[in-house]
Amino acid sequence: MLAIKGGKILTVTKGIIEDGTVLVDDGKIVDVGKTVAIPGGVEVIDATGKVVMPGLVEAHCHIGIIEARIGWAGSDGNEATDPITPHLRAIDAIKANAEEAGLRAALETGITTAQILPGSANVVGGTGVVVKTAPKTTVDEMVLRNPSGLKTAFGENPRRVYGQGQKRMPATRMGVAALLREWFVKAQNYMKKKERAKDDPSKMPDKDLKLETFQLVLEGKIPLRSHAHRADDIATAIRISEEFGFKLSWEHATEGHRIANWIAAKGVPATWGPSLMGRGKWEMRDLNYETPKALYKAGVKFAIQTDATGTGIKNLPLCAAMPVKYGLPWEVAIKAITINPAEILGVADRVGSIEKSKDADLRILSGDPLDPMTEVEMVLVDGEVLIGR
Amino acid sequence: MLAIKGGKILTITKGTIEKGTILIEDGKIVDVGPNVKIPEGAEVIDATGKVVMPGLVEAQCAIGITEESIGWAGSDSNETTNPATPQMYALDGIKANADEGGLRAALETGVTTAQILPGSGNVIAGNAVVVKTAPKDVADQMVLKNPSGMKVTFGDSPRRTYGQSQRKAPSTRMGVAGILREWLVKTQNYMKKKERAKDDPSKMPDRDLNLEALEPVLRGELPLLAHAHRADDITSVIRIAEEFGVNVVWHHAAEGHRVAELIAEKEIPTVHGPAMRSGSWETREMSFKTAKVLHDAGVKIAITSNATSQAIRLIPLIAALYVKNGLPRDVALKAITIDPAEILGVADRVGSIEKGKDADLRVLSGDPLDIKTKVEMVLIEGKVLYPS
Repeated sequence: MLAIKGGKILTVTKGIIEDGTVLVDDGKIVDVGKTVAIPGGVEVIDATGKVVMPGLVEAHCHIGIIEARIGWAGSDGNEATDPITPHLRAIDAIKANAEEAGLRAALETGITTAQILPGSANVVGGTGVVVKTAPKTTVDEMVLRNPSGLKTAFGENPRRVYGQGQKRMPATRMGVAALLREWFVKAQNYMKKKERAKDDPSKMPDKDLKLETFQLVLEGKIPLRSHAHRADDIATAIRISEEFGFKLSWEHATEGHRIANWIAAKGVPATWGPSLMGRGKWEMRDLNYETPKALYKAGVKFAIQTDATGTGIKNLPLCAAMPVKYGLPWEVAIKAITINPAEILGVADRVGSIEKSKDADLRILSGDPLDPMTEVEMVLVDGEVLIGR
Repeated sequence: MLAIKGGKILTITKGTIEKGTILIEDGKIVDVGPNVKIPEGAEVIDATGKVVMPGLVEAQCAIGITEESIGWAGSDSNETTNPATPQMYALDGIKANADEGGLRAALETGVTTAQILPGSGNVIAGNAVVVKTAPKDVADQMVLKNPSGMKVTFGDSPRRTYGQSQRKAPSTRMGVAGILREWLVKTQNYMKKKERAKDDPSKMPDRDLNLEALEPVLRGELPLLAHAHRADDITSVIRIAEEFGVNVVWHHAAEGHRVAELIAEKEIPTVHGPAMRSGSWETREMSFKTAKVLHDAGVKIAITSNATSQAIRLIPLIAALYVKNGLPRDVALKAITIDPAEILGVADRVGSIEKGKDADLRVLSGDPLDIKTKVEMVLIEGKVLYPS
């Protein structure tokens, strides 16, 4: 058992507790409050004058799979040889060791949970995985949810990689949409055949791992994680989702301000970012720090993400701070890097806030989490102090 | 309620009203005439000295899908990776926002309805869509009719795109025809199999979106929008259309004058243009004079800018040049309003100033075919969208 006492506790979901205590046992938060009795003999961390908040949740990144500073030998995010690769799984390419610079940077920043996704070269890139960032020997030990969604990409990236680079479909936005529809129909055909063969195994179609993955999406078990910068691209994703009846999230949402009401009405969650880079391609030219405010005002559930491939992940708090400068309420920005991504990733029963029975993933700070001068003093994952001891 | 009073109203279908009033409610024209009583409290726009006409209808363009001024990143009309892509939908490639240059230009010109088609790289290029040009958040909100036709391309474009550049079929006109026939037969086979499996689901063929997209063509519900410049190309289209019993609209028609009688006899509506451009062998006879020949033969014609190949804002000038080359003035005005509306199958909503139609209107400083005339106001569904 471990007690963290005296800190200003940002529970995120249940307000702020000045001078409060978090009690941790067996990796879980067992109590939190202003007047928590600390049992005798318990190890106590004095957080007086500090801020205690839940570990951050990175909704969308490529750490561990596009390894930092290695180049080709460590770049496993994009199987850019076929535009449709639903059978690929991010988990099969993640370097788990503590020395992987991106994972290390995440942990040191107090980003304790992250969704790692395949890249955006392919229309369908493969499944993502949600991991804890505590160093482990194998990635399997890091998993919080797998698969966590099927990565799909709309817009320029698959058009450039295939249409421009390889003279293959898709060369156009119509082509991206058509490929996706084509494969969802294949999956529906496959599911029908399996259903018909229920009573006659001899009629069972050969198992097809690509279509099995689409089946998970069609059955509502995982969402489509839809990479799209432009409003028209996510509108197309939503059009297709309504034709086939599946769930999706909007990844990047660079033009979120243009279409916030539509997204809100459709109940589609968004993860906004990356936002610290230049407007490197046409479809990102609308990038600005006012988009999160527009999403918030329209009632869209959204997270803020770094899209990091390496140590850039340490900028997640700054990515949340900048929109606050442009009018996003502070509490909303905090939620956008904790409980909102936890909910969007489907892991809010475990992480994203300081609540009884949730995992004891905690960040102890020298001050305001959105002040760039603030230092991360301690990081705990599952009740273990991994940084700062 | 909104009243536009005092203007010279070109209804297009019911003559010209010299000082008339148009009454608008809930986006629709509820009354029009010389003696319309304006209800108390209605907002009134004084159009005295102005000309009021229906919003223009562009039957053939790529605005929004071939975005202006962007180049590659905004060019989504030509999926030139496969010569037969019936499962493409232009709707999936359209940028709806008000800042898209082509859509904005259309609105400012008073082109209030437009058919946006996939490009001409592929023999079977995919589904066109008819939209209103009022700015919206998403393209879905702009749709007037979707799909509105199946774009097919005959002649040099697919031969160059595939035969010349990719060493794939089609490299010849025979090859173009072969691909279209092959896919129409595949679709017939598919439809037959589905029909046979009606009472036995175990025999149902796998669902195929390419073939499903061609089914409404074979059922006569969706026309082939046939890009063809040369007379021999449209003749091949007609040959195939008759073999399969499908409907055709002829787009471009550079050699329309060579086969006007045939086109009239076959009752194939024709979208003519872009007449300001010529440059390739197959368009060398492209001329403003062709429209008159087609009209005299009895063909229903629409006039197109073919934007983005000609600027959509030039439609009034283009129509005027057809008149200079012999097309009667009233026919030219119809060819940019009610006739394209009928060809697109949306004449119940747009194309003329009539009771019950959408209040899509253009208020002008003078004669619509005088190039000095200014567009003073554009309304779509009763809302003044220009000036904004």
